Amino acid sequence: MGTEVRGEHTFYSHGSPAPLAKAMRNDYAFAEKTTRVEVFWGTQVSVESPNNNIKKFKEDNGIAITTSDYFDIFNFPLVSGDITTALNEPNTALITQKLARKYFGSEEVIGKTINIGNKVNAKITGVLRDIPLNTERVQEIYVSDKNLKDFSDWQAKEDSWGGFTSECNTFLLLKPSVAASSVEKIFPQIMEKYYAGNINKNVFRFHLQPLEDIHFDADYGGYVDKKYLWAAAFIGLFLIITACVNFINLATAQASNRSREIGVRKVLGGMRAQLFWQFIAETTIITMFATLLAVGLAQLSLPFVNTLFKVQLTVNPFMNTWLLLFLSVIVLTVVFLSGSYPGLILSGFKPAIALKGKLPREKTTGFPMRKILVIAQFSISQMLIIGTIVIASQMNFSKHSDLGFDKDNIVMLPVPIHDSIGKIKMKWLISRLKEVPAVKDASLCMEPPSANHSNVKAIRYDNDVKERPWSFNAKPIDENYLSLFNLKLIAGRGIYPSDTINQYIVNEVFIRKLGLRSPEEIINKNISVDGVTAPVVGVVKNFYDKSFHLDINPVVMFPALNGVEHCAVKINVPGSRSGLASIEKIWNDVYPQYIYEHEFLDTELEKYYEFDDTILALIETFAGIAILIGCLGLYGLVSFMVAQKTKEIGIRKVLGAGVQSILWMFGKEFSRLVLIAFIMSAPIAWWFMNRYLEDFKFRIQIGVGVFILAIAITLLIAGVTIGFRSLKAAMANPIKSLRTE
Amino acid sequence: MENKTNRTFILKDVNLDVKEGEFISIMGPSGSGKSTLLNLIGMLDEFNEGAYMFNGQPVHELKEKQRTNLYKQHIGFIFQAYHLIDELTVYENIETPLLYQDIKPSERKARVADMLDRFQIVGKKDLFPEQLSGGQQQLVGIARALVARPKLLLADEPTGNLNSKQGEEIMSLFKKLNQEEGITIIQVTHSEKNADYGSRIIHLLDGRIEKKD
Repeated sequence: MGTEVRGEHTFYSHGSPAPLAKAMRNDYAFAEKTTRVEVFWGTQVSVESPNNNIKKFKEDNGIAITTSDYFDIFNFPLVSGDITTALNEPNTALITQKLARKYFGSEEVIGKTINIGNKVNAKITGVLRDIPLNTERVQEIYVSDKNLKDFSDWQAKEDSWGGFTSECNTFLLLKPSVAASSVEKIFPQIMEKYYAGNINKNVFRFHLQPLEDIHFDADYGGYVDKKYLWAAAFIGLFLIITACVNFINLATAQASNRSREIGVRKVLGGMRAQLFWQFIAETTIITMFATLLAVGLAQLSLPFVNTLFKVQLTVNPFMNTWLLLFLSVIVLTVVFLSGSYPGLILSGFKPAIALKGKLPREKTTGFPMRKILVIAQFSISQMLIIGTIVIASQMNFSKHSDLGFDKDNIVMLPVPIHDSIGKIKMKWLISRLKEVPAVKDASLCMEPPSANHSNVKAIRYDNDVKERPWSFNAKPIDENYLSLFNLKLIAGRGIYPSDTINQYIVNEVFIRKLGLRSPEEIINKNISVDGVTAPVVGVVKNFYDKSFHLDINPVVMFPALNGVEHCAVKINVPGSRSGLASIEKIWNDVYPQYIYEHEFLDTELEKYYEFDDTILALIETFAGIAILIGCLGLYGLVSFMVAQKTKEIGIRKVLGAGVQSILWMFGKEFSRLVLIAFIMSAPIAWWFMNRYLEDFKFRIQIGVGVFILAIAITLLIAGVTIGFRSLKAAMANPIKSLRTE
Repeated sequence: MENKTNRTFILKDVNLDVKEGEFISIMGPSGSGKSTLLNLIGMLDEFNEGAYMFNGQPVHELKEKQRTNLYKQHIGFIFQAYHLIDELTVYENIETPLLYQDIKPSERKARVADMLDRFQIVGKKDLFPEQLSGGQQQLVGIARALVARPKLLLADEPTGNLNSKQGEEIMSLFKKLNQEEGITIIQVTHSEKNADYGSRIIHLLDGRIEKKD
């Protein structure tokens, strides 16, 4: 069950309020099974090893807290332990075989204890089979639902309907006779029962989403929009068609070499049909060899592809019936598509003419099929080249633009605890860090100015009775934050040191949304967040608080030690290496029970564009392949033209033409083809690239330069391809060319 | 001609003097080197030993570009198989040599019109070679050879693909060009009849000059 949050900007989330699962189970009979699962990412696990040392591990995939009926809905079997009872008691956990071996060196771990997040000592009551690669539920540790309060008492409460986290998921296994629509009908009743008097009654709305749609549904933050898959499939299809087209081109261009053979065969009694099938048989052998080669190459390139696109594919036709079927269909289609036309042409040669080695004359002027095919290939290549240029430019823009704050030489350290002891520790940490010579500045905060994770809240301004209908990005900071990140104040001042929320700083978007005309207007006015009222003391210039895919949010910053999750450290470049070592030592002193890690902010920010980088790599690969195939086609065409024009070149040379003017004969023709291809491909590419760029709120403009670059690249490639062949033709001895048989 | 293992002589001890205004026929059986000699005279081919003076200039010492310029301006070539460009019209075929000589469009137009008129093929100027008879195609070939106003005309079996009547017409035309306009003509031919149109006959056999008349 997902939640739609309606407001100024409606968004959809996979998450739902914590008490929802129990409500659905108790109040209605739709589902055979109902379950709630809560994920906590990046948890630390400590294991006591035989010699009483403590081994600490950071599990990035985190833990999932749930009940045993989760496993009735999802098929994650146990290799040891009883699933019906495993998570019933508090302080129990399941781990996978892989983790068992990692922590204890064997899979016999039932009864052993692990410490999770320094919060819970859990006994292992079952071992899960290793999680398959293609699931979204990547957690390898499952903890009893009874421990939810240890990780979040808000989520564990029975009446936490007012908000929700996207990490809390509710799943229903509907009875076979129940349709999704009948379930959705009762959702308003839930709102009535549980949200009476709650301000979010008209804001939240629940929806059912089938499990199989999760991966692709972009609205709900699914991993990938299906449109990219379709795009990739189409491009793949185009490439195969292009290769077939090339084969046809080259085969018919080579026809002259075989005309004598065919003439002889016909004289010796061969019939047209027999010759046709001979050609088909030859094509089949070539295609099958090509397919074997392709499977081999695919296997070899797998490690490279998997790293590049961050997937885990395997290629094994014998294990995968779909693949086998696909390959067979491809072979048959390619053979008939590519082989029939040349087969018909070649088998149709008249013996008398064929024996003389002459071909039926083909026009080289105008637009015979050959040229149309080359134009088509070059159109595809051009579109991919334009795509590559645009995406690369956008990536360059996204990653290297000034974001409105400093991001270089800044390291983010975790601050693992923020209870009363945690507050003392973090102050200790920061004062010690500032003593390190390589440390220029340090600041306690929840997140850096730009981060994936954010707290979203609503405000009341000044004398408002109700909250404003829009939400903002809430950022806990300290008094060093503005100077460390070089954020610019345009009104008021920065914050004075404080442990609790007693001052607010806002950004320009915030001012605009309130409808104020100047930043000065808000100084010393009060705003109220989550019931905490305090004056606004400063306004900062806008900075990009999210990736370029998203708009700049209204931002409110305030001091709040209990919201601190990171310590930002700005280091001097010279001496940074020893500086980092000192920092690590200090951190481990302050937090001996936790695992140290650090992230450079600029590296972290690049992760916003992981998916875009993958798309770029994909398109570059496709462009490379298309160009290669296009060049082959072009080479075929120029070979054909040279063969047809040998006599004409000889005549022109006799009449006084120099090598240059012969070269220009070819150059002119191919430039024309490239230009026509460009005229056809440019508008289409422009349209597609605009669609791609629409995903970015901050984007480059597709200028004329892009198209000029694309056409220059294509002309260069075409020139190199035909250059050698046409040069050879232009320098040929005219006498030899004119020799009559 | 030298190939990798031994030297083969296509022409040996050929000494030939041709004065301006002469009409010479070269005769001999197949393989005697007639066409080779003609190609050498026309600067379309190169030789390894010997010297060639054209109008006082040592052709064998000239660079490729200079040679091309020389034969472009002074020599016209006529082939047995006509060798017209099939994709161009009669007009365009005749015009082609002028394109390689940097002659202005208006001048080109005038010269081509003049040729069409002289050979009475004005009505055919927009036709393609495949629409013409053999004799007409050869006429076009001759017109093309003459349009650049060469001093020397080389003809390699010009009537070889024509019937006897067409052949006679072509040969009379040659005689007229030679006598009335003083164009030097060297032709290669099989036919004694054709050879008689000229003033001198050179006989070649196995690359050597057998006898000169």
